[in-house]
Amino acid sequence: MSKENKRRKLPETRLAPSRFRNTIGKYTIKRSSSCTSCGLCAELCPYGVHPRYKNFGRPLRPVEHKCIGFACRSNDYYCIDRCPEQALTLRLNPVLETLGDYRWTAEMLLAHWEMAETGQLPVVGLEYDLGNSGGGFDKIRFQHPQPDAYLDIDDADIDMSIELNKRGDGRPRRSISIPCYGGGMSYGSMALSALVGRAKAAKALDTLTCTGEGGYPQEFVPYADYVITQVATGLFGVREETILYTPVVEFKYAQGAKPGLGGHLLGDKVTPEVAAMRETVVGSSLFSPFPFHSVYSVEDHKKHVDWVKEINPDVLVSVKVSTPTDVDMVAVGSYYAGAHIVHIDGSYGGTGAAPDIAKKNIAMPIEYAIPKVHQFLKEEGVRDEICLIASGGIRNAMDVAKAIALGADGAVIGTAEIVALECVRCGNCESGRGCARGIASTDEELGHMISEDYAAQRIVNMYMAWRKQWCALLRELGMRSIKELVGRSDLLVHLDYLEETERAGYKPAPQQHVII
Amino acid sequence: MQTQEDSLINNILRSRGKIPRLESIGKKPAEEGGCGVTGFISSIPVRGRHIYEPSIQMHNRGNGKGGGIAAVGLSAEALGVSQEVLDSHYLLQIALLDPDCRPQVEAANIQPVLEVHKAAAIDTVDDYRQVQGLEVRPPDVWRYFVRVKKEALERFVEENCLQDLDPRRAEDEFIYQNSVRINQKFYASLGDQQAFVLSHGRNMMILKIVGYAEKVVEYYQLEDFKAHGWIAHQRYPTKGRVWHPGGAHPFIGLDEALVHNGDFANYHAVSEYLRQHNIYPQFLTDTEVSVLLLDLLNRTFGYPMEYIIEALAPTTEYDFDRLPSEKQRIYRAIQSSHIGASPDGPWFFIIARNDPYRKNFQLIGITDTSMLRPQVFALQDGEVQIGLICSEKQAIDATLQSLAAEDDRFCPVADKYWNARGGSATDGGAFIFTVSDAGKEDGSKQLVCTNKFGEVVSAPENQVPLTLQDTRAVSAQAGEIDRAVADGLAEADLSTLTAYSIRQMADWDYASLRHFCSVLVSRADRSDADKTKAIDVLTALNDRYYSTGEKKRSGVLHTVRQSLTELFSSSPKIGGNGSSRYRYIDRKLRPSLTAPDSRDQVLVLNAREFEPEGDHCDARLIVEAYQKGWKNFICYGYKGQRFTGCGLANATEGVRIDVYDSSGDYLASGIDGLEIHVHGNAQDQLGQIMKSGKLVIHGDVGQTFMYGAKGGEVYVLGNAAGRPLINAVGRPRVVINGTCLDYLAESFMAGDPHKGGGFVILNGMQFDHNGVLHPQPTPYPGSNLFSLASGGAIYLRDPHAVLVDEQLNGGEFVDLSPADWELILPYLQENEKLFGISVEKDLLCVDGKARDYKSVYRKVQAVRLDVLAKASAESEEWGEDWRDSA
Repeated sequence: MSKENKRRKLPETRLAPSRFRNTIGKYTIKRSSSCTSCGLCAELCPYGVHPRYKNFGRPLRPVEHKCIGFACRSNDYYCIDRCPEQALTLRLNPVLETLGDYRWTAEMLLAHWEMAETGQLPVVGLEYDLGNSGGGFDKIRFQHPQPDAYLDIDDADIDMSIELNKRGDGRPRRSISIPCYGGGMSYGSMALSALVGRAKAAKALDTLTCTGEGGYPQEFVPYADYVITQVATGLFGVREETILYTPVVEFKYAQGAKPGLGGHLLGDKVTPEVAAMRETVVGSSLFSPFPFHSVYSVEDHKKHVDWVKEINPDVLVSVKVSTPTDVDMVAVGSYYAGAHIVHIDGSYGGTGAAPDIAKKNIAMPIEYAIPKVHQFLKEEGVRDEICLIASGGIRNAMDVAKAIALGADGAVIGTAEIVALECVRCGNCESGRGCARGIASTDEELGHMISEDYAAQRIVNMYMAWRKQWCALLRELGMRSIKELVGRSDLLVHLDYLEETERAGYKPAPQQHVII
Repeated sequence: MQTQEDSLINNILRSRGKIPRLESIGKKPAEEGGCGVTGFISSIPVRGRHIYEPSIQMHNRGNGKGGGIAAVGLSAEALGVSQEVLDSHYLLQIALLDPDCRPQVEAANIQPVLEVHKAAAIDTVDDYRQVQGLEVRPPDVWRYFVRVKKEALERFVEENCLQDLDPRRAEDEFIYQNSVRINQKFYASLGDQQAFVLSHGRNMMILKIVGYAEKVVEYYQLEDFKAHGWIAHQRYPTKGRVWHPGGAHPFIGLDEALVHNGDFANYHAVSEYLRQHNIYPQFLTDTEVSVLLLDLLNRTFGYPMEYIIEALAPTTEYDFDRLPSEKQRIYRAIQSSHIGASPDGPWFFIIARNDPYRKNFQLIGITDTSMLRPQVFALQDGEVQIGLICSEKQAIDATLQSLAAEDDRFCPVADKYWNARGGSATDGGAFIFTVSDAGKEDGSKQLVCTNKFGEVVSAPENQVPLTLQDTRAVSAQAGEIDRAVADGLAEADLSTLTAYSIRQMADWDYASLRHFCSVLVSRADRSDADKTKAIDVLTALNDRYYSTGEKKRSGVLHTVRQSLTELFSSSPKIGGNGSSRYRYIDRKLRPSLTAPDSRDQVLVLNAREFEPEGDHCDARLIVEAYQKGWKNFICYGYKGQRFTGCGLANATEGVRIDVYDSSGDYLASGIDGLEIHVHGNAQDQLGQIMKSGKLVIHGDVGQTFMYGAKGGEVYVLGNAAGRPLINAVGRPRVVINGTCLDYLAESFMAGDPHKGGGFVILNGMQFDHNGVLHPQPTPYPGSNLFSLASGGAIYLRDPHAVLVDEQLNGGEFVDLSPADWELILPYLQENEKLFGISVEKDLLCVDGKARDYKSVYRKVQAVRLDVLAKASAESEEWGEDWRDSA
């Protein structure tokens, strides 16, 4: 028991400030030349928007992203009103109009940067639980909680872990301590330090991350027990050794962002290092086939799974598939072929590297696929023996909770982890120097913008902030474990089925009482 | 202008429109891709028990939730009818899911319209629970021998204006429609599923159950039932609970039963095409749709089999260009009418049919154009003939072993094994075994194998098959053989003895061969040194090609392999006494596995009783033994056990595994350092992600060989099937002495061969039955060679420059440089050492004349393709020259 507790010890959140000078905030504050540098604003502001060094008289540029904006008006420390010289003006940051998109809104990006920086939920009034897509998770809400269900327990006493091996087939049991693990990102698509940072975060969080199909860099070895080896259709960098290292092998059959297409890494990104890792030709685009050339049917698939199990008798097998209309059959087929995890990848995900024509047009939205698969597995009587993982546009803590309530055991997170590393979602991921933030880049200069520790801490911080939200939700629902939430779609409502007047009553997330 | 024939076809189709149906179109209830299929047809009737063994071999291709068999060319006596009745009557078999519904079925669709000659329930074991592994009670099956009542038929012809149709064919159509009505009423309509028609053809039948296919044989007591042709299907439905076998294969056309391995991507398109012809699927699986399509093309449109095959698996690309122009014209017409209904995706059909109009039975195997499913064909000629089609070679071997055990006219080894090349100009991707009257006036039958184009495939003629009971015959050359073996074993160098035996092989009779083998086996008991030599000599006889004189090669191989098995099995058991270099282990002895006494000890592993996969498979035992210090393995007795050599991890240099008999899929996949020799044909997915080490295959190799491989040295004596070396990277260096079906080295990315990258040498040669090496008609028949490759090279032996640019997609032909020759020569020399294929005398010799390497070999190298190199974000979106136009 004590050992278990120790393992479950939550990682530390530490401040991991932005790598860039002026973090984008929701609001922008202008200080006019009439400022006399009296220092009152610095004294007043509890959020630290107006930093001031001791023995240094000149005012500094306001730390805008900490400013809570017009909500401060009623406070007696509202700097705009209190400034004796009326030197300060406050307005909405116009940059927000150019940032983000309907799914990942500017506010959601800002909020995740904040969570990644502090490990806390943002104080600033940002809508980070919902996007503006007009559908999907943005239209789903939790029911009004029953007041008497409320469980007054501490965050630390709420169990967020999920089981990956429920088959009882003699292979190791493995649980991860948050209902999320990292999606596959290949060596070559991302800066190595970002990838290793993800692995380091996975270890700290006691969860997993995934290699993607670009090979297994030596830098992962210290974190081997927390790194999934992906076996994708190109088989790039997959060696027997990498199957032996890993606790979980993920067969990537398809990706929700581009079903019917294999992975691809365009020529620009095939640097000498990447080519060496994949043992290919520098500068030549790498297209993975679709599907596996050795798997054209379910019995081929079983053989494929059996092969990996033969190589590593302790490995668990995850099968990642996209969400065609018969995804339920695919899931059941995977179960019978011996998979421990069925990972269904819906259509909302994908970075800029996935072609739009695929990303935006095919595969079933994940919020339809999850209950379909969950229900089908239940009818088959095998739901309790398989871990169902969802991914594809699961952006934030509430999306994860909704996915679980719809029937998943947990979620795979890709984009949010990149956002934690200050991705601005500009969508230029596929070209070598395209990533202004040095995340999805193997460029020599850009790739060095990130350190492993920074990446690891930012990701840890983000998940720890998410955890707070999950805890608040479970408390409201009177649950002690996230496992209790699985398949509780009765707790959800869809706004399309409500009267206009009712809709407003459903909050995007449990109310947080943020204490400063 | 409508011809008379057109209107007749229309009348037939229109008549089908009158059958009641549900208008709602269901989706496929069970997405199933996988399965194992097997079938054989023989010139003599053989017992049902022989489909039993191959079915068991394919358990891991099914999941026990659906199995079925079909038989054609049945025994009249066993069915209790006269031959005349068997030939002329329809054998209607109805599965009664609800046993009480028989009176309703009979009252509605049998008594009013059919003349029943004989009706009875077919025999079963008393209680289905007696059959181990049967969880769902199979349906009661009633069998009726029927003809259509005269008045009913006349009315049918009258009402549907079928007067121009041959009355017998009109009767066929009546029977077909009557079954559709039965199924509609008692199966497909809403409500409980009560009964369905299993089969209704003449002289053929289908039975199916929820369970493995061989349980059909057991439950319906067909072990001793004789028929010419049998097919079986192991189904792998992905939906878990199945309570009746309606969805199991085979499915019925009229006189044909079809089993299918694969999955259509265009099920709905094909169904729609059928609906346009008033054909409404009732069981909602793509197999049913396949056979309905086949029946439409065959019976209604009256296409010959060649055109039916073309409509199903169209000839495309370079293969189409190679067809004679007259054929192109016809095929183009077929394709333009039928491409919409041509099944798209991975599929492989085995069809067993009775063709009462031509008085023959047929077994047909058809593969899709891209050859996405595994398939092996085999032929055995002799006093009795047999043709076999399976998804895996071990199922063929199991069938032959089972047959040979009962009837010594069968040999456990076939004369010929091969793969079909889908939608090709060479064989058309289909082979047809036809059993018809031998013309000897004694009722005996003969089997002929033809490809899609009607070209005959045959085994070498005038050779004597091995007769197993002939073991007492004494060799006239016994004395000489004894001396030669004694002298040969005394020498340090074994080549004299090997050469002697190969030289003598043409003259020896079976008795002499057997004597030679048995002397070797008995000498092997004396010392380890002799045993090693005996194994080496017999292995050479197993691997090499030579003239076998009047003996069949299959007979020679069987004799040699038996002796090898004897040698292996007689090794001292693991954990036992004795100081032999060889240690025997099998499944029972597995717990006694200990570390080897010395480094060069050989673990002799009998794989026979091991499971083909899972934690207790023999491949895991090899890993365990390796971890205990074993470095040398001889593995034999395989019947398709998978993953041999996998899981040993990296740095395994110095480990060697010799594999005998029917090895399985994924052999050597992932190996990194070790050396594996396969003494015989190998199966599918070999050497996947192989990193380094050496793989030698003394035979052919199956589908997707070395997919995603990173390196290694590989030598293949025979041919590779489809898609070898796809997505290979790093430095694989491969010599294939035969050819490949298609898609060789697609997306090959193995760097620069001169800077440590990879390459494939394709020799395009084959041995004839005299052991003489000849070039194949083309070194590479496929349409796709080195497609979209960005690195590496192919070295082709193509002295007559047969290959053309049209077969490339991105690569280019160039002349060999001296550096190229210097690079590949060591591999050809190793190839010579392994297989005896001489660089000077065989490879560089063209039409009897020695030639320079430059005029014999051609190189295909990658060109830098824009599609691979440039694709920046802008050019993706706006095209390559967006900058200029802006």
